[in-house]
Amino acid sequence: MRIRSTREQRIRGVRSVLRWILYYVVIFLCFLIMTSGTWMKPILLVPAAIAIAVNSGQYSSALTGAVCGFLIDIACGKLTGYNAVLLAFFSIIVSLLYEYYLRNKFVNYIVITAVISYIQCWLDYKFYYEMWEYENVEMIFSQISMKVWAITIIASVFVYLVIELINRFFLPKDHITIEEAVNTAIRSERK
Amino acid sequence: MRDFVKSTKFKVLLGFLAFLIGIMVYSVTKGGYSLSGVSLFNTVSKPFRTVSNSISRNMEGTLDRLAHSDEYYEENQRLKEEIGELNRRLTEYEALKTEVEELRELVSIKQEHEDFEYTQACSVIGYVTNDPFMAFTIDKGKEEGITPNCPVVTAEGLVGITVEVSDHMTTVRTILSPDLSVAAVSSKNNKDMGIVEGDIPSAEQGITRLIHVDKNNNLKVGDLIVTSGISGLFPKDYSIGKVKSVSRDSNGLSDCAVIEPCSDISRLSSVYVITDFTGKREEGNEN
Repeated sequence: MRIRSTREQRIRGVRSVLRWILYYVVIFLCFLIMTSGTWMKPILLVPAAIAIAVNSGQYSSALTGAVCGFLIDIACGKLTGYNAVLLAFFSIIVSLLYEYYLRNKFVNYIVITAVISYIQCWLDYKFYYEMWEYENVEMIFSQISMKVWAITIIASVFVYLVIELINRFFLPKDHITIEEAVNTAIRSERK
Repeated sequence: MRDFVKSTKFKVLLGFLAFLIGIMVYSVTKGGYSLSGVSLFNTVSKPFRTVSNSISRNMEGTLDRLAHSDEYYEENQRLKEEIGELNRRLTEYEALKTEVEELRELVSIKQEHEDFEYTQACSVIGYVTNDPFMAFTIDKGKEEGITPNCPVVTAEGLVGITVEVSDHMTTVRTILSPDLSVAAVSSKNNKDMGIVEGDIPSAEQGITRLIHVDKNNNLKVGDLIVTSGISGLFPKDYSIGKVKSVSRDSNGLSDCAVIEPCSDISRLSSVYVITDFTGKREEGNEN
């Protein structure tokens, strides 16, 4: 008894390709927003990498995290590879957490985004400012790092919605329900 | 989870992370030049970034006008009064005289700095995201003869120095940054020397500082501070900014002056890079 036709598999493949193309379009848009204008902006690529890792395997999460990290390095003028290492690592962790322990809920996502973006902002502050012992360096943490962290969390809601929208249309279902299996079986018997 | 740690996938991912760390270490050794991949990405993304930046600036301008409409209205009224006052005072002759003086000044700068080799005007593509010291990227790079540690200027004065050069893009560190130290001197007497170096509170207000000035100095508010050219990184006698105030440094051993840069660093749209000048040092770093 075949419960999934070859055509369905093909559609599934095309959907998957489209989904990843859209993910990378979103990533590029996040990068453009981050590099435009003169105002303080959220590090949109952190929630984007996390939102993608939620529904992806470890390899694809690591790769997407690394790409997002490289783009943050370019946008924020940081050492090439620094954020790539961080985000690749965190994306793998997020992917594993969702595979073994967590359910795909918005609350889980927002908590993880808050924690990871805080760590990213804190490490950025430590390595790029505090370590060099500038005068009044604590001002950077309170007036820039914390503000960036806060607006990143707020912006992550929109990133989540966009990624969820893509997932709704293009994320293939991993399992079919009993009802779907029965219906498919009935259809194939009729033929 | 335990199975995952023992799996091949885990080892592959560890290898991938090690590879990323390798890239990071390799980029440290590039001495101010971007990795070729980054350079390529910068080249490809430049038109998109230019367009999105212009859209963003327009949006920011519109939002700014909406958010501060009351302030702008009051400012507008005040300016109208001031314009009326000025109109009464100014004659056509005075306006022409000012214009002629400005033109003479421009010509004299060109004559004074015949040895400078400038790039073409470089457009500011955008400011580095969330950088407190207003570092920015420009649309010219290695292909236009720019190298790391080239002075970046406007017609008004020194802006900063190039730090990371791609093929068609360059990141500029500004004089608001504590990572850039410029040997400077008062143009009035060429005696009151110091180091122009930013700090965090000053950068927030778009100003910088002249530090390590001798206690027996003759600096006064409004004095023009220019580059001393000692290091060979910056050309001699290029305007940096004007003295806003002078006070004793926190260590009590020297004086410190607050400097208002000649150029408004937060609102730059185009700059010039000086690629060569007499007395330029080929190697080394002043900062």
